[in-house]
Amino acid sequence: MGNKTKKRILTFLATALMVILAIFTLAPFYFMFLSSLKPGTEMLRNGLSFTFDPAVSSFKNYEALNTYRDGIYWDWYKSSLILMVIQTLAGLILGSMVGYGLAMYDFKGKNIVITVVLLLMMVPFEILLLPLYQMLIRAKMINSYFGVVLPYLVPPFMIFFFRQYCLSLPKEMMEAAYMDGCSDFGIFFRIMVPNMIPAYGAMTILSCMNCWNNLLWPLIVLSNDRKFTIPIGMATTITPYGNAYDVLMPGAVMAVVPIVIIYLFAQKTFIAGLTSGAVKG
Amino acid sequence: MKKMLVVLLAALMLVLSVTAYADDEPIHLTLWTFQELHLSLYREMLDKWNADPANPKLDIDMQVMDYEDMHNKLTIALQTGEGAPDITEIEISMYANYLKGDIQLAALNEYVEPIEDHLVMSRLNNYARDGKYYGIDHHIGATVMFYNTEILEEAGINYKDIKTWDDFHEAGKTVLEKTGKPMTTWESSDCWSIYPIVSQHGGDWLTWDNEVVMDSDVVIDTLAFMKSMLEDGTAIPAPGGFHHAEEYWGWMNAGGCATVSMPFWYLNRFTDYMPDLAGKMKVVPLPTWADGKGHKSSQMGGTGVSVVATSPNADVAKAFIAFATLTFDGNVNTWKLLGFDPILMDVYGAPEMMEPNKFFDYYGDEIFDEMATVLDDIPDTAITDMYPTATDIVKSQMAYDLCYSDKSAEEIAKECADQLRSMID
Amino acid sequence: MKLSSSAKKQESVFGHKAVPYLFIAPFIIFFIIVYLYPFFQTILMSFQRIDGPNHITWIGTSNYTKLFKDRNFSQSLMTTFRYAIWDVIILTTVPLIVACILNSGYVKFSAFFKSVFFIPALTSTIVAGIVFRLAFGTLDTSIANRVLALFGKPPRDWLMHADSANFVLILLTLWRWMGVNIVYYISGLQAIPPELYEAAQIDGANALQKFFYVSLPGVKPVLIYVITITVLGGFAMFTESVALFTQKYAGGIGRTIVGYMYQVGFYKSNLGMASAVGIVLLIIVLTVNLIQLIAMGFFRKEN
Repeated sequence: MGNKTKKRILTFLATALMVILAIFTLAPFYFMFLSSLKPGTEMLRNGLSFTFDPAVSSFKNYEALNTYRDGIYWDWYKSSLILMVIQTLAGLILGSMVGYGLAMYDFKGKNIVITVVLLLMMVPFEILLLPLYQMLIRAKMINSYFGVVLPYLVPPFMIFFFRQYCLSLPKEMMEAAYMDGCSDFGIFFRIMVPNMIPAYGAMTILSCMNCWNNLLWPLIVLSNDRKFTIPIGMATTITPYGNAYDVLMPGAVMAVVPIVIIYLFAQKTFIAGLTSGAVKG
Repeated sequence: MKKMLVVLLAALMLVLSVTAYADDEPIHLTLWTFQELHLSLYREMLDKWNADPANPKLDIDMQVMDYEDMHNKLTIALQTGEGAPDITEIEISMYANYLKGDIQLAALNEYVEPIEDHLVMSRLNNYARDGKYYGIDHHIGATVMFYNTEILEEAGINYKDIKTWDDFHEAGKTVLEKTGKPMTTWESSDCWSIYPIVSQHGGDWLTWDNEVVMDSDVVIDTLAFMKSMLEDGTAIPAPGGFHHAEEYWGWMNAGGCATVSMPFWYLNRFTDYMPDLAGKMKVVPLPTWADGKGHKSSQMGGTGVSVVATSPNADVAKAFIAFATLTFDGNVNTWKLLGFDPILMDVYGAPEMMEPNKFFDYYGDEIFDEMATVLDDIPDTAITDMYPTATDIVKSQMAYDLCYSDKSAEEIAKECADQLRSMID
Repeated sequence: MKLSSSAKKQESVFGHKAVPYLFIAPFIIFFIIVYLYPFFQTILMSFQRIDGPNHITWIGTSNYTKLFKDRNFSQSLMTTFRYAIWDVIILTTVPLIVACILNSGYVKFSAFFKSVFFIPALTSTIVAGIVFRLAFGTLDTSIANRVLALFGKPPRDWLMHADSANFVLILLTLWRWMGVNIVYYISGLQAIPPELYEAAQIDGANALQKFFYVSLPGVKPVLIYVITITVLGGFAMFTESVALFTQKYAGGIGRTIVGYMYQVGFYKSNLGMASAVGIVLLIIVLTVNLIQLIAMGFFRKEN
């Protein structure tokens, strides 16, 4: 009986602690949503206010997203989506291919390549910005989507992850397939890819997340304001001379939507994928 | 390969479109800015330009970019000769970067010189080298004092009686005593408190030869004055650090403090972000210095509108920006649409300027009554290639030390000046 | 790197020698274009003065000597180190504790909490910066100052003093990244065989002992991974400080190494000096991570 009470108390305490943390985590979103319903001046007037005031709240700001600079917000949205899809697809395909190659084959120079991949995960990408930028200028790839995704085509962290994941897969299936006359790439695409779905789920989320909120590099590459991504576009509403809160707040809320949807859909595979992957490093 | 083809094709089409436009085809121009607000002026003036059959038809693609980013892209575009716009705005503190070496901007003397006597030339000097004017500003940016009359009246003070900075300080003591509120705020993370007042007092950070004068007596005296107000509580550091912080706006809007000194372009910050003070605020020229030194006001901030010299349409681009920023009509619209103090002196006192708008509704009708009297006494500022470094030191070091350190005015000025000197070689 | 025996067997089974190289070719090409060439370019540029693509002067180590004379740079080093140290301490321990609690079976709806904690990582930091800025405002009425008042403490200018500003930065980072690290840890915890806990139970271990003798060794690979990326993230931090300070670094507060690099490189268009900053940053990150990996016994295990 003592044990049962103890367990109940522990359950209560642990859950209560999590509730408090969850409130701390969600409060900024709640504030963001409330503010998106109010005129910008309301937010300044009341500071950080968590009360819903129906008298000044409406979805007018959301309608304004359609008219703000001829609906430029949706152009940014489109750009962000296109870039997210290209970058994630490229990363998944190329990253899993390389990771698979490093896990399943033995060849000369393999250890060097693996060391390089590990080392690159420790290199701050920021220090390569300037020369990369100059390179794009010379290649006339400024203001192109390809220029934006170029540094993320084969992300080292994905290679590392897919390699770890492949190491955990049973080799017997591949051997069987090989006996049946399957080519190397056939094995990869027909046997391995379906078996790596959880890993793809996990990496899809991480990649979408990185891409959707990436600020610095797209900011440097893109120069036509209709091609901007959401974070860059939103940065133009934040000027040294005062911010357009009426656009900023609903824009930020709308920007959360797709990425949260992706997360909720892929969440199960995400955690399962991480569990069987990175852990065994 | 396909990519290259597309790029080549696009380039070809661009060349064709600019060289071989038919008579009824509009000329396409590109304009870059980091300040979306300015677009309303260009749109208005473009309509007027196109309405006149004598003008070649124009179609302007107006691009808004992030502040740092736009200047960075412009630098690269000018250096490489690839992708530069026809017309560009350049912020004043960045302007010197574009006047180094082979200047890639077009001189505008043919439009400026004929009306020199009608313009506030200290503004155009900011964007000039060797007698050539490369940029035109939208405004003077004369520093003014915004008074919250409600608070002052509560303390029994008429703002019109405040003539000198000493009067201002004394009034501040009364306000603090009667209402418990500070008289004013100084920025701790930006330069709009220190620099305008130093400049008005006759000081500056550099000479045109890049000699550092950041620790001159005038600078030290000004800092000492500002510090004395902080010490007795008549001034406090601006909540949020500067006069564009969300926190500051909310606090000021709720009547947190009696005054703020900012350049004229701050008018629309009140109308946009502090709506509850409508009818309570007055805009008046700065108090003057009792020691007789200095000027009636100072000109601060700004953006130079320029034409890229290599643009195939440079001539028509020049004509258009002159039309938009130097004509009577353009200057009246600068006030009406942007709320700026125009650089063409002729417009002050003109009936067109007095048409009702949101600024008159907010501040009352007498905005320009005294403004016109300071136009003839506004000092130049030395915008050299070290100017960005100097302002950076003021923002990140001088303002902070003034508000938060125990250092004396002299120590602050000396340290900052030494820091600046060490950056010049 | 050891190979499993079956992988060795495959080598003989699988066909052409060139096949593995075909698989890794995308990485090799990518590595040369995106990392190797720019890396050498950065080193070269750090010894140059660049006034445009056609105006390049070799100036020896002058960028570096100037760098170490600049007060703003030494300040940004200080700021970054202070932040990174706390970042590594807090961002590795707090999520680990939360993950253990979530994984303990005592929490109801633990899947729900896992999702909730993850959401901040999905959003843009800029708006979060506004919220944190207001919460830690100067005024007596700001949330943080009201909390201080509850404890009878005077209000303070949170973002205007280096230590409290660092605290707010860490809090913002924790808010944003806690969920990601929790997910990593939970994946590690769930991979620990339950028999180990049962064995410990039989040996009479208490909760704390189970944590130190079973959980901690079990998540060690994940821990190493988390520390490595946190060190990188900590020293290369930029976005969080931009969100909080909007690139206004009064008194140098909040200006990190990358923030400094960005200002020098783009705002003052001094590409040479910015490259020198980049090289210094790279050396710092690599050194700290190597020390960390050696201390954690990462290489011992590999060999």
